[in-house]
Amino acid sequence: MTADILEAKVEPIEHEDTRDSRRLGFSLTLPAQLLVLFIAVFPILMQIYISLTDWSPLDGISWWQAHRLWNGFANYTDLAADDRFWSALWRTVLVMAICVPAEFLLGLGLAILFVDNFPGRRFLYSVLLVPMMVVPAVAGYMFFMLFQSGGPVNDILSFFYGAPVTIAWLSDPDLAFFAVIASDIWQWTPLMFLILLAGMVGVPEDQLRAATLLGASWTTRFRTIVLPRMKTIIIIALAIRVIENFKVFDNFYIMTGGGPGVATETISIYIYKVTQQELIWGYVAAVALVILISLSVVSAFAIKRMSQSREAG
Amino acid sequence: MTAIHLENLGKTFSSFTALRNMNLEIADGEFVALLGPSGCGKSTTMNMIAGMIDPSEGAIRFGDRDMRGVPMSRRGVGFVFQNYAIFTHMTVYENLAYGLRATGVAKAERDRRVRDMAEFLHLTPLLKKPAAGLSVNILQRLAIGRSAIMEPAIFLLDEPLSNVDAAFRAVMRTELKHLQREFRQTMVYVTHDQLEAMTMADRIAVMDHGKLLQVGTPIDVYNNPSSVFVAGFLGSPGMNLVKGKGVESDGIKRVDLGEAGVSAPLPAHLSDSVPEGASVFYGFRPEHCELTDGEGLRLPVTFVERIGARTIVHMGSDGSAVKCVFDNRVPVRTGEVVSLAIDPSNVRLFNAETGAAIGGAN
Amino acid sequence: MASIAFRNVTKRFGDTIAVDNVSFEIADNEFFCLFGPPLSGKTTILKLILGLERPDEGEVLIDGKPVNHVSPARRNVAMVFQNLALFPHMTAEENVRFPLVERKMSSDEIAPRVADVVEKLHIGHILHKSPAQLSGGERQRVAIARALVRDPVAYLMDDPISALDARLREETRVELKRIQHELGRTLVYVTHDQEEAMSVADRIAVLENGVIRQVGAPSDIYDNPNSAYVAGMLGAPAMNLIDLDPDRPSALGGALPLEGITVPAGATKIGIRPEDLTVGYDGGGAGKAVEVYEVEPLGGVTIVTLQSEDTTLRAMVRGQPQIRPSSEVSLSVANGQACFFNGQGEALSA
Repeated sequence: MTADILEAKVEPIEHEDTRDSRRLGFSLTLPAQLLVLFIAVFPILMQIYISLTDWSPLDGISWWQAHRLWNGFANYTDLAADDRFWSALWRTVLVMAICVPAEFLLGLGLAILFVDNFPGRRFLYSVLLVPMMVVPAVAGYMFFMLFQSGGPVNDILSFFYGAPVTIAWLSDPDLAFFAVIASDIWQWTPLMFLILLAGMVGVPEDQLRAATLLGASWTTRFRTIVLPRMKTIIIIALAIRVIENFKVFDNFYIMTGGGPGVATETISIYIYKVTQQELIWGYVAAVALVILISLSVVSAFAIKRMSQSREAG
Repeated sequence: MTAIHLENLGKTFSSFTALRNMNLEIADGEFVALLGPSGCGKSTTMNMIAGMIDPSEGAIRFGDRDMRGVPMSRRGVGFVFQNYAIFTHMTVYENLAYGLRATGVAKAERDRRVRDMAEFLHLTPLLKKPAAGLSVNILQRLAIGRSAIMEPAIFLLDEPLSNVDAAFRAVMRTELKHLQREFRQTMVYVTHDQLEAMTMADRIAVMDHGKLLQVGTPIDVYNNPSSVFVAGFLGSPGMNLVKGKGVESDGIKRVDLGEAGVSAPLPAHLSDSVPEGASVFYGFRPEHCELTDGEGLRLPVTFVERIGARTIVHMGSDGSAVKCVFDNRVPVRTGEVVSLAIDPSNVRLFNAETGAAIGGAN
Repeated sequence: MASIAFRNVTKRFGDTIAVDNVSFEIADNEFFCLFGPPLSGKTTILKLILGLERPDEGEVLIDGKPVNHVSPARRNVAMVFQNLALFPHMTAEENVRFPLVERKMSSDEIAPRVADVVEKLHIGHILHKSPAQLSGGERQRVAIARALVRDPVAYLMDDPISALDARLREETRVELKRIQHELGRTLVYVTHDQEEAMSVADRIAVLENGVIRQVGAPSDIYDNPNSAYVAGMLGAPAMNLIDLDPDRPSALGGALPLEGITVPAGATKIGIRPEDLTVGYDGGGAGKAVEVYEVEPLGGVTIVTLQSEDTTLRAMVRGQPQIRPSSEVSLSVANGQACFFNGQGEALSA
C-alpha cells in the first residue's frame, strides 16, 4: 500500500532557461567587476613590482621608476634569513592560537547564557558589546593604565594578597605578553559573542523541540543539533578573528611598542617599524606579500569548508 | 497505553486568551482530531499536552498522572511537526536513530529497530542519504518514523498532511488511520481540514476562538451539529443555512424562507421548539436535496459546477444561497428556477441569534 | 477579444523538451484550462503566449496573426500572478490605476476605464481599502481589475488560488468563473487541481511531459478519457485501473464479475470510477469476496478502500453505509460505466 508512495518522484524545480539571463547579468555587472578588479589587482601588482627592487622613498625617484633599482629575488632571500621576521611571525601565530580559542569559548559561553530570555538580558547585552565599540587605540591606553605598576590591576591584587603588590607588568617580557593578550580578548570576545549568538538564535526552534521530545538532554541537543547547525557561522567567526588577529597592532603598539625588546612584537608591528624606521620599502613589500599569500590560503580554506557545509545542508 | 484528561484547561498569552475552559477526555487508544480554523486554540492545546507550553489554568493528566511540571523530554509523547522538523544535517538513519541514541539504547538494539522501522516505512534504500535533499512526501514519513520508533503511548500530530500534494495526502490519510487502528496508540491530530478530521478520527473535537464547541464521532457531529459554526465547517460544501421565520397555519409548523417559499412541515421533534415568528436558520446538507416537479423550495440556479462524480448546483443569493450536490448527470442549467424537496427528517434548525441548534437530535 | 493558437510548437531548455510539438486553439471568450502535474509544460505554454519565451519550432498565433517575433509588451496579453502581486502600500484603486498611470495616460482618460472595470468586477465599495484590509476573494478581484484595466485581448492566470485554504478555494473558483463569464474575455488558466480545472473550464487541455494528451470539455474528458493517464488525472479518488482476467469474463482474479458487460477486443485493463464501483456489503454478490482495508466517512459520501491481493481499489458509496474495516464485501459494475484500456494505456471503445 505504501509502495505507491515510494514511486512518487522527487520533483525538481520547474526548468528555466538561464543561459541568456546569465549572459545579460554578466554584461550588466561588467563595469563594476572591472572596477573591483582594478581596486584589488592593481595594488597587488604594484607590490609585487616593488618587492623585486631595492626602492625606498628616499631614493628620489618615483615608485614606477623603481626598476632602476632592480634586485630580483634578493628581498625574498633576505626575508628567509631574517630571524626577527620569523620570530615576529611565530609570535603572531602564538597570539592567535591563544586569543582566538579563548574568545571563541568565552563568546560561545556567553551566547548560551543569552540565547534564553532572563530579566535584564537586554541591558547586559548592550553592556557586553561596549568593548567592541571602543577605538582600539583607546583600549590600548586603558590597558596601558591598568597594567602600570601603580595601576588598578596591582591594586586589586594587593587587596587580595593583603600586602602591596608592585608587578612591573609591561616591563617583564612574559607578563607583557600576557597583558597584551588580555586586552585583545577583552576587546574582541564581544564580536565572537555577537556572531555566535546570531547563529544560535537561528537554530530552528522546532528541531530543538523535536530532539527534546525524543528524550535528548540539553548537552545532547547542544552537541547534535546546535553545534552542527552553527558550523557555517562558527567557521565565519573563526575566520574573521584569525584574519583580524593576524593584523593586530593598535593596542599592542600603544601598550608596549612591541617591547620589552621584541617580546610583544607582532608581524604588523614589525612591518611598521621596518617601514617607518628603516625605510626599506622594497623589503617591506616582500614581507607584506608573503603575509597576504598565507592569509589568502587560510581564508580560501575557510570558504571551502563553508561551501561544503552549505551543500551538506 | 494512556488516556489523556484535559480538565478546565486554559491558556492566556499576555492579553490574548488562546484557550478557555477546555474539558476533554481522550480514551486509551483513541484517535481524536482537534478541528478548527487557524487561531481556534487547537495547536495551543496540543502544545500543552506535549509540554512545550504550560497551561495558565486547569490540569492535564495522562492516565492518573498529573503532568504539571513534567518536562517535555519526560512525557513520552511522539510529536510530528507541521514542518516535520527533520534534522537536515543528518542522514535518514541518524534521524531515525536519534531518539534511541539520546536515551541510551544499546547499539545493536538501536540498529535493529532503525532497520525494522525503515523497512516498515519503505525507507530502507534511503537510509544512508542526507535528509536535506529528500522530497516532502519522504520527509513526512521520516518524521512519523522518527517518533514512532520510540514507541510512545501518545502520538501527537500537528497538521502533518498540510504540506504534501493532494494525491499523496489521500493515500496518507488511509495509511495513518490504518496504522493507528493496528497499533492502538492514543492519537491526537490537529487539523483545519474537515476532510482529514472526518475520514480519520474516532472522534472530532470542533474548536473556534479558543472554545471547544462540540465533541463526537465524525458522523454524529456531521449529522447533528450543535451550532451553525459546526454545521458550516463540516462538509464540502458545508451545510446550507437559510434564514427564515417560524410560521404556523392549520396547526402545522413550517419555516417561512422568504423568496424561496415556505418549507415543508417540520417534524415533530422540531416543531415544538420553534415559536411562531422566531428567527431561525433552516439547515440541510447539500446532498439531502432532491429536484421535484411538485411542491418545494423555488430557487433560481446561479451556477452549475460539474466536477466529476459530483455536480454542485448553486442556487439563490445572499441570505437564501443554497448549494446542492447531485450526481454528475443532473439536468439543470444556469438561469432556470428549480423546485427542491428536502426530506424533513434531514432538516436541522438553529437559533438565528445564538447560532445554537434547536430541538433534540433526530 | 482574441483567439490564441499553437501550431506544432516545441520549446527546449537544453536537453529537456518542455513543450513537445503542441497544437491547440483557444476560441475567443473561452475559459481554457491547462492542467497537468508539475513540469508537464503548463507554465512554459503560458510564457510562450505571453512572449516571455520564444518557441524553438512552430508558431504562436494571437487572433490569427503569428506573434513569434512580437515582444511581450506589444502582445497586449495580461497576466494575473499566483501571489497576485498587489502593491501593499497602495489602495485598491491606486493598484487598479497603476498600469495606466505607468503608461502616462491623463486622468481624464484613466477615470472612465477604471470606472468601467470597477463596475464589471463589483469592487466599487472596496476601492479605498489597502490590500491588507481585503479578503482573499476581494484581493483576487482587484488583481484581475488591474490586469484588465489596460484592456488586454486575453488574460492568463498561473495557479491563482492554490494558496487559499480548501473552503475559500471552492468559493473563489466559482467567483472566477462568474467574473470570466460576465467579462467575456479569453482566459487561459493553469492549475494542478483537477477539481478546480473541471469546475471552471469551458475546455481543459491535459498535459504530460510537454505533450497535450487530450483536449475537451471537462465532462467529456471525465466520461471518455482517451488514455489511462488522462483517466487517472481527473477525479478524486482517481479511477480504479484493474487488470482483466485473461480467460474469463471477470477482473481482479474473479473478484469483479463482468458477465453481461461488453469488453472490447484487445482490452487488458478495466477502468472504473469510484462512484461507479458498487460495493455489496450485506452478503451475496457473484464474485469472490474482497477485504475492506479502511473506511473513510465524508458525511455525504463514504470512501471505502479495498484490498485484493496487490491491488488497492477505492469505491465511493453515497450516504453513511455501515461498512467495517476488515469485513468482506462483493464488487460489481453496471454495463456502460466502465472504460477499457489496452496494454499501451489507450482507451478502447466498447
